[in-house]
Amino acid sequence: MSGSRDAKSARFVQTIVEVEGRTETRIVEVPAFEPAPWTADAPLTIVGTSPPRVDAFEKVTGRARYTADTVRPGMLHAVIVRAPIAKGTLTSLDLTTVRTLPGVRGALGPGDAPSATRLFRREVSYAGQPLAAVCAESLQDAERAAAVLEASLAFDRVPHAVTVDDAIAADAPLVRRGGNATEPTIVERGDVTQGLADADVTITREYRTPVALHSALEPHGAVCEWTGDHLTIWESTQGIFRVRSDVARALDLPQGQVRVLKDYMGGGFGAKNGAGAHTYTAALFARALGAPVRCLNDRRAEQTDSGNRPATVQKVTVGARRDGTLTAIVLDALVPLGVSGWDGGPAQVYHEMYACPNIRTTETCVYINASGMQAFRGPGYVEGAFALEGAINALAHALQIDPVALRLTNLATRDDRVDREFSSNRLAECYAEGMRRFGWTSAVPPRPSTVSRLRRGRGVAAQTWPTGGGPPAYANVRINSDGSVDVLTGTQDLGTGSRTILAQIAAEALGARLDAVRAVIGDTERLPYAGNSWGSMTTPSVGPAVRMAADDARTQLLEAAAQLLETPVDRLTTRGSQVLRDGVAARSFAELCRALGKLQIVGHGSRGPNPALAVVTVGAQFAEVEVDAETGIVRVLRLVAVHDAGRIINPALAESQLHGGIIQGIGYAVFEERHIDRTHGAPLNANLHDYKVPTMADIPAIDASFLDGADPAANHVGARGIAEPPIIPTAPAIAAAVADALGVELCALPLTPWRVLGALAG
Amino acid sequence: MKLSVNGTPRDVDPSRSPTLLAALRDQLELTGAKLGCDHGECGACTVRLNGDLVYACLTLTAACDGAAVQTVEGLADGGTLHPLQQAFITHDAAQCGYCTPGQLLAAAALLDQRPHPTDDEIRTAMSGNLCRCGTYPKIVTAIRSVADASGASATRADAPPSATGDAP
Repeated sequence: MSGSRDAKSARFVQTIVEVEGRTETRIVEVPAFEPAPWTADAPLTIVGTSPPRVDAFEKVTGRARYTADTVRPGMLHAVIVRAPIAKGTLTSLDLTTVRTLPGVRGALGPGDAPSATRLFRREVSYAGQPLAAVCAESLQDAERAAAVLEASLAFDRVPHAVTVDDAIAADAPLVRRGGNATEPTIVERGDVTQGLADADVTITREYRTPVALHSALEPHGAVCEWTGDHLTIWESTQGIFRVRSDVARALDLPQGQVRVLKDYMGGGFGAKNGAGAHTYTAALFARALGAPVRCLNDRRAEQTDSGNRPATVQKVTVGARRDGTLTAIVLDALVPLGVSGWDGGPAQVYHEMYACPNIRTTETCVYINASGMQAFRGPGYVEGAFALEGAINALAHALQIDPVALRLTNLATRDDRVDREFSSNRLAECYAEGMRRFGWTSAVPPRPSTVSRLRRGRGVAAQTWPTGGGPPAYANVRINSDGSVDVLTGTQDLGTGSRTILAQIAAEALGARLDAVRAVIGDTERLPYAGNSWGSMTTPSVGPAVRMAADDARTQLLEAAAQLLETPVDRLTTRGSQVLRDGVAARSFAELCRALGKLQIVGHGSRGPNPALAVVTVGAQFAEVEVDAETGIVRVLRLVAVHDAGRIINPALAESQLHGGIIQGIGYAVFEERHIDRTHGAPLNANLHDYKVPTMADIPAIDASFLDGADPAANHVGARGIAEPPIIPTAPAIAAAVADALGVELCALPLTPWRVLGALAG
Repeated sequence: MKLSVNGTPRDVDPSRSPTLLAALRDQLELTGAKLGCDHGECGACTVRLNGDLVYACLTLTAACDGAAVQTVEGLADGGTLHPLQQAFITHDAAQCGYCTPGQLLAAAALLDQRPHPTDDEIRTAMSGNLCRCGTYPKIVTAIRSVADASGASATRADAPPSATGDAP
């Protein structure tokens, strides 16, 4: 299988790659060879099974070391002082006194950090903005000094806007130079005016979604240590190479002088995609003081200034013929990003979910005086699907058509947004399997009685999410002289299980025992490049690179074995860390490698270009709720989820991903909302007591499953991503169930008791 | 000041570490108990103090003189994992693993008090330990498996509804 590149074929080509569900065209390298795809019926014995996580032992014994646990000799502790106001100018602060306090080794304020770090500016544009930092011998000393410094801050305050309505008001204070609202992004296909004219029924709703906080249990943090002019960073991150390039750029260092390490991390969910204020603060103090420095967010900082899912206001109109055929979908959306952010808006899913000829989406991003957004599990699609699926459910009710039947009538058969066929799309099967598991009856139920106190209802919603991944991603597979195997790739494991599934893929392709294979990840200096673990793309991006590297190593091993065994290579195979001759074990990998002496077998792999196809993970979720009409409390009773992600590498770990997405979706539906005081501009619930994430007592019975199969057209492993899809349909399915229970639609999240009671009161 | 930590006498200086969590992590280098919120909101720092469950971040070191503390590092019996640790591995009850030490100690305390809890009792007893990865269903399964394996079967009159088929 290994071989030289065909001299006539191009080494570099253009392909479409994905970043957080968005696609970009890039130049990529064509690998010298690509393994033949593992088809759905490929006889795999390790991929598709559920061995325990390779790092489970470390996690249950407390031996797993997270960034927050990292200790270096002589390490100092830094604490960032943050703005208590939303807008104004810092007029004074007392760094001099702070530098004399017990244990304090240094303090940084305005003008003390390179401008590229954007740290410690006097102009304040949101509460929580870093203004200064202190560094001390103990965290206690640093926190005490930070409190003294905080008390010395004085400001000239000016009016702020922390809500979308305040930011777009005629007399709104200017949040950003250039205006508070961006030019609208309009994406249109067909003719919505005609589509609406052709409709027998139109539905118009305005949906509002809240700001949601990632709330990873391990806060953002970094430990920085300089050795000469080389900087080593231990960082809790989803992207070691991105932290490296961020820091190199901000501190004007060659990338080769920055090494980023990440072993274990306590959750990310999209908020840990690059370097942050904590990273730069630790690096600057460490350089100035000649000692390692740790800087961790405390919980308040984590819930204030470490990213969020932005709120949305979505005005949706859908039109359909009497038989349910969609004729038009129109979205007008406002997305208050905070003071910064990218257009992770809700529109894209509107163009992908249904086969509708006439669609127009208009998105306007709005800047407000609040910390900027970051990607959060299924960014844009979670917000968009809540409104789109809500409108589809409302349409089903208006047409008296079963909501699943309505969706099947309008099933997307190709991806019209990118004008491509699907590699595979089995959403119809997901609906069928979900209906069977849930016991969904297709008859349209009457809206319920409004007299009982406890009212039950059922709802459905679906999702799509681009999960093809793509290049670049590289891996090496090294067979050691005792026959053990190292998989070397610069990716990271957020808790998803990538360390485990990459070892499974390598063991399968190499014919090694899984317990002889170790995945080495999380080091920019010693491992080949892999991208951020975001966009559900680690498995479909890094998986094929690992498989190719293992295939390459296997080919080399067999060529060497052929010499040693004086047997033609086509009579040799591998299985269970043995080389088999005519199907009979001839030599173990260990015996072969001993015989090879110091010769080392290293296989190389890279992720090839994507096919000219749309690669998506799809799924449907069904919810049953009970609503207490007197207290307004929504209880989710059960949830059935069926998704199709192509080949599942490890079903137990994949199921855990579904649970995680669904449970975060329940939080988004029922509990979670960041509150900022409109008058004072400061956060009101920046902790884990008042910002309510689901607890174990809130979780219903969850039945989460995948369709069997593989998607060999997507990549040669046949796997797509799964991390983000399950959070997308949960909230709209729950909202539909609440509407079914009450006979009233609630168009704003979360479905808190006061919203429910307000809706019941009309 | 002396503590017994995982059965071993240890000296700590309460003036350097006001909270038990800081004493364990910074002075004794036992980093199994995690810092998640430092305000008794998340449960990542859960340890056992004289057998009782406490949030170590809210427990004053000075109040622990002579106390017996158990952390996740002391859960295994020598080289043999505690049945809950093994069950957490078997049932994939740890995703990122950051909350896992606290979850394990909370589960151990529950089973010491009620060897055969119902699923509702498990959910209530464990609701002081947040898991943002959403590992809850598998944590319940893991605890259930240990309870079921330890002899007499529990009455499960209040077993939760199945997710499939008709709701009760």
